[in-house]
Amino acid sequence: MTTLPNSGSDGSLHGLWRAIASQELRELWFSAKGLAVLFGYTLLMSVMSYIAASEASLNLLDARESVGIIVRVTIAFGTLAAMVVSADVISGERERGTLEALLVTPVSRRDIVIGKLLAASTIWVAVVVVSVPYVLVLARGPGVMADALLVTVIAGSLVAAALTALGLAISAISFSNRVSLATSFAVLLLLAAPSQLPAVTASGVLGSILIKANPVSAGLSLANAVLVDQKSWGSQWQLLISPSVGAVILTLVAIALSRRLELGGAR
Amino acid sequence: MTAALTVECRDLSVNYGRVRAVDGVSFSVGTGEIFGLLGPNAAGKTSVIRALTTVIDPSGGDATVAGEPLSRPERVRRYIGVLPESNGYPSSSTALSYLRFYGQLFGLPAPEASSRGEALLDQLGLGPNGNERIGTFSRGMRQRLGICRALINRPTVLFLDEPTLGLDPAGQQETLTFLGRAASEEGMSVVLCSHLLDEVERVCDRIAIMDGGGIVADGTVDEVVESAGMGATTRLRVEQGAVAEAVVKLQACPEVTHLDIDAGCVGEIEVETASGLDTNEILRPLLDANIGIRSVDVQGARLSDAFFALTGSPKKSS
Repeated sequence: MTTLPNSGSDGSLHGLWRAIASQELRELWFSAKGLAVLFGYTLLMSVMSYIAASEASLNLLDARESVGIIVRVTIAFGTLAAMVVSADVISGERERGTLEALLVTPVSRRDIVIGKLLAASTIWVAVVVVSVPYVLVLARGPGVMADALLVTVIAGSLVAAALTALGLAISAISFSNRVSLATSFAVLLLLAAPSQLPAVTASGVLGSILIKANPVSAGLSLANAVLVDQKSWGSQWQLLISPSVGAVILTLVAIALSRRLELGGAR
Repeated sequence: MTAALTVECRDLSVNYGRVRAVDGVSFSVGTGEIFGLLGPNAAGKTSVIRALTTVIDPSGGDATVAGEPLSRPERVRRYIGVLPESNGYPSSSTALSYLRFYGQLFGLPAPEASSRGEALLDQLGLGPNGNERIGTFSRGMRQRLGICRALINRPTVLFLDEPTLGLDPAGQQETLTFLGRAASEEGMSVVLCSHLLDEVERVCDRIAIMDGGGIVADGTVDEVVESAGMGATTRLRVEQGAVAEAVVKLQACPEVTHLDIDAGCVGEIEVETASGLDTNEILRPLLDANIGIRSVDVQGARLSDAFFALTGSPKKSS
């Protein structure tokens, strides 16, 4: 009989999230999926950076605003990509028939979710890496390189972590991949909507609460406040609360839902 | 049965919402035994497998697998290997990395998982394809890879749902021979779901036939065939000039219930006998009389005939 290390009191094997994450990373980056996302993003960034730089040089757009746009696009696109990938990881496996083989192994459900979550998060990391040269080139003029990178890495990563976990949680409870992806996309649009409120409404009490309480609009607003409106980090720290809380709570929710990781589907 | 039991299933039930897919199923499987679970579509076979492999929770009854109760699913999973009915594969992985990954999920160090994977790929005829991407594999190759994956942890009990699906006849034969050897030499128990009744008849020590969520017959193949209570029909072909003498001899045989001479086929006699009669009983008087027998075809004594009779298939009604 095989000797099994790392076994918990319930008999499941723990500490195998690394193996799950490695396999997920291979599937994400050795298949067309991850590379296609990056290619699309690189294309988008190239076009947007060219337009922003051209307009800034013609004084049609403030140079700081062009940096703000690029950083917000990075956060929005990276978050969307990470959420879409995470929304597929469990419901997609159900549909492709690969989940049952995973569920009959002694690896703990928690490790399955943690491994998949970490692998899906690498989409965000890759998007940030690709965005760095664009951000640096555009931010060099107005001298906001450090702020631009900090907003991207800190605010963007918190928002991405929250929504990657949310996507995975939706995927865990959706028995159809289509439902999971559609729901995730709808939730992201809903969360991003307050950041598009007119300035007058956004500065009101309700508008301010709407923006600060939801991680996506708070992250996007932070980019705007620090990079475009030249406000200090100290005065805008409240905008980091909901992304931070969202990242922690939604990650815990996704891990808690691992107990309900089921095959579902037909008889 | 004297062997220790590795699967004990008592009054197991599975509900999907209000639909009862499995209704009070009980059976047991001994160490090193190959147990066939048969039945038409929607009979409940896959639900039984899924309950025993802890993928779904049973609605009633209980079971132990490899000595562990289903109430401790994490422990059960250590000792089982499973090939699900509709198994998917990651197309961008190579066969070897796929097996290494699953070996690691059973707590094997990567080098050991790799060496086991290589050995299994060799045994199932995929040795030269170990470093090829699964996306390039044919359906039969994927099925054999799935069997390799199910065996990577050297399971105590192996659950196989349609393991020869997509395999060519040679592949079916090799796979069944391999499973038979694994069961007899390594003492691994196998629970096999299949629609290919010939293969089940050939490899299974015992079987259970399910229909409508319950077991309608179980035992050895011979016991199940006998329990179906079917009379056998034997089509004999004798020397052309000996038909009349053969008919006389057969009519003298008390077990023969009906005789018919096939006018369309010279020398052919159709003999109906009571259930459970040994074919030798009707051949012996002909051989004693030196009547040359050209061919013998026994119908109604095969597992397939019993299966159709027990599950109320169209063949029975026709």
